[in-house]
Amino acid sequence: MKSPLLENERFVQIAAPVFVGVVFLLLWEAVVRATGTPVYILPGPLDIAKAFVADWAVLFHSLLMTLKVTLMAFAISVVLGTAASLLFVQSRWIEVSLFPYAVLMQVTPIVAIAPLIIIWVDDTTWALTVCAVIIAIFPIISNTTLGLRSVDPNLLSMFRMYRTGRLQQLIRLRIPSALPYFFGGMRISTGLALIGAVVAEFVAGTGGTQAGLAYLILQSGYNLNIPRMFAALGLITLTGIILFALMVWLSDRVLRNWHESALKVEQ
Amino acid sequence: MTNVKATRPEVVVPMSTEQQTRPAVGGRPVVSVRDVDKVYGNGTVALKGVNLTVKEGEFVSLLGPSGCGKSTLLRLMAGLGDVSAGKVSWWEQDYNVVGHKGRKLAFVFQNATLMPWARVRKNVRLPLDLNREKGPETEQRIDQALDMVGLNKFGDAYPRELSGGMQMRVSIARAMVTEPNLLLMDEPFGALDEMTRNKLNDDLLRLWKANGWTVVFVTHSVYEAVYLSNRVVVMAARPGRVIEDVPIEAPYPRGQEFRVSTEFAGYCRRVSEALEVASRQGEEAK
Repeated sequence: MKSPLLENERFVQIAAPVFVGVVFLLLWEAVVRATGTPVYILPGPLDIAKAFVADWAVLFHSLLMTLKVTLMAFAISVVLGTAASLLFVQSRWIEVSLFPYAVLMQVTPIVAIAPLIIIWVDDTTWALTVCAVIIAIFPIISNTTLGLRSVDPNLLSMFRMYRTGRLQQLIRLRIPSALPYFFGGMRISTGLALIGAVVAEFVAGTGGTQAGLAYLILQSGYNLNIPRMFAALGLITLTGIILFALMVWLSDRVLRNWHESALKVEQ
Repeated sequence: MTNVKATRPEVVVPMSTEQQTRPAVGGRPVVSVRDVDKVYGNGTVALKGVNLTVKEGEFVSLLGPSGCGKSTLLRLMAGLGDVSAGKVSWWEQDYNVVGHKGRKLAFVFQNATLMPWARVRKNVRLPLDLNREKGPETEQRIDQALDMVGLNKFGDAYPRELSGGMQMRVSIARAMVTEPNLLLMDEPFGALDEMTRNKLNDDLLRLWKANGWTVVFVTHSVYEAVYLSNRVVVMAARPGRVIEDVPIEAPYPRGQEFRVSTEFAGYCRRVSEALEVASRQGEEAK
């Protein structure tokens, strides 16, 4: 027996993972109840939901703090990363001299340098932002540089034939060619900005009005308020997913007319 | 150069076939290559002692096995890359004298080489943009170019929405929009199916005739070369050089009858034999 709803591709795409999620949550709740596991070891989904509602004010405030750092770091990464890429493609010399340092920045564990940055930068929000930028900027730099170099060689020949200047070449040819790569970089970068913001806050351990979701998790851990810990964790994950989806949507909007990645192919 | 636009199409039609068949007689050299060598940085000798003069109104094909340097030669004629020895001149002058605009040259690449992010119209106007030509007159020229390749309804389409043959026609329109005298084509129809290719060959001949172009056309195909050209230049590889220059004296306009004629078959045989010799020499040199 087949219902017409199950043949709808979109419906199945949404319904199937939701179904798996609901089954998982039900099982979780059942196991927690059956074994009588105390809330401070593993709360059931219902306990977490209750904490979510009860602590909403605190959670939301922390979320805003984390989101602020994440978005600032992301914006700075996009601007500085793009600027660096544009600089790199101007001359082989600049790229060869500076690119290794971009890699160096990427491979240094942020947890290891965060304490230094927190000492050097007075304002906590800025200190966290700097940490997040350090890890979020690399995908922008590497992807955009790659994109600016990935130009159809024949089109480039044509521009050369017309003795076109560098600026024209950049605007008319290199930047449009780089867009798909740039958006690819942005997708990775949003996630890293969020991770950077959370990790840096774990290291900084800032409390008070500046407290973000990471601090909330730490604090809830100390207080054995495990349901709230799960609620904060859930919020971080949800934020990451929303930011990622936003980037996918944005790149789809910009590229949908011409780039393969955004095409809907009918089989 | 006479103003071909003004005289079209009334004058083109009655133009005698004699004139069209042998425009080389008395025609000015448009591009000439003298004793040219091209050695790449890795030591590959792409061309050795090449001499070739293309005169006004000629349709010359460069034919040869892979690696014979025909594309390299064409690129040198476009002023892309420097010669290692010898000289390339346009209208009997050095590049420094004529400059890019003075050469009135357009290049059609192997693939359509369109900007995928730009609509057809924007692609066609690219050479005008690069030359910083603006104004209502340029819009008219774009319309005309699209008209001539039969794509006036597709100005707002994106390249990926078009078939391979149509993309190639956009590429030709882009070349036409600058009103060139010299059209350099690097295996432009190589990737297309035979039907489309034959159609585009006929379109090209029609446009060549109507606009009074001079064409240098690189191809792999003996049939295509014979069908289109009034001269087929056969090249050999290792090192790349010209070994034969076969005049094709059949009158224009050429059509389906020419494709199936014994005359056509005869020329094809001759050119194939020359190509055979070229391939053998290249093999021996390996």
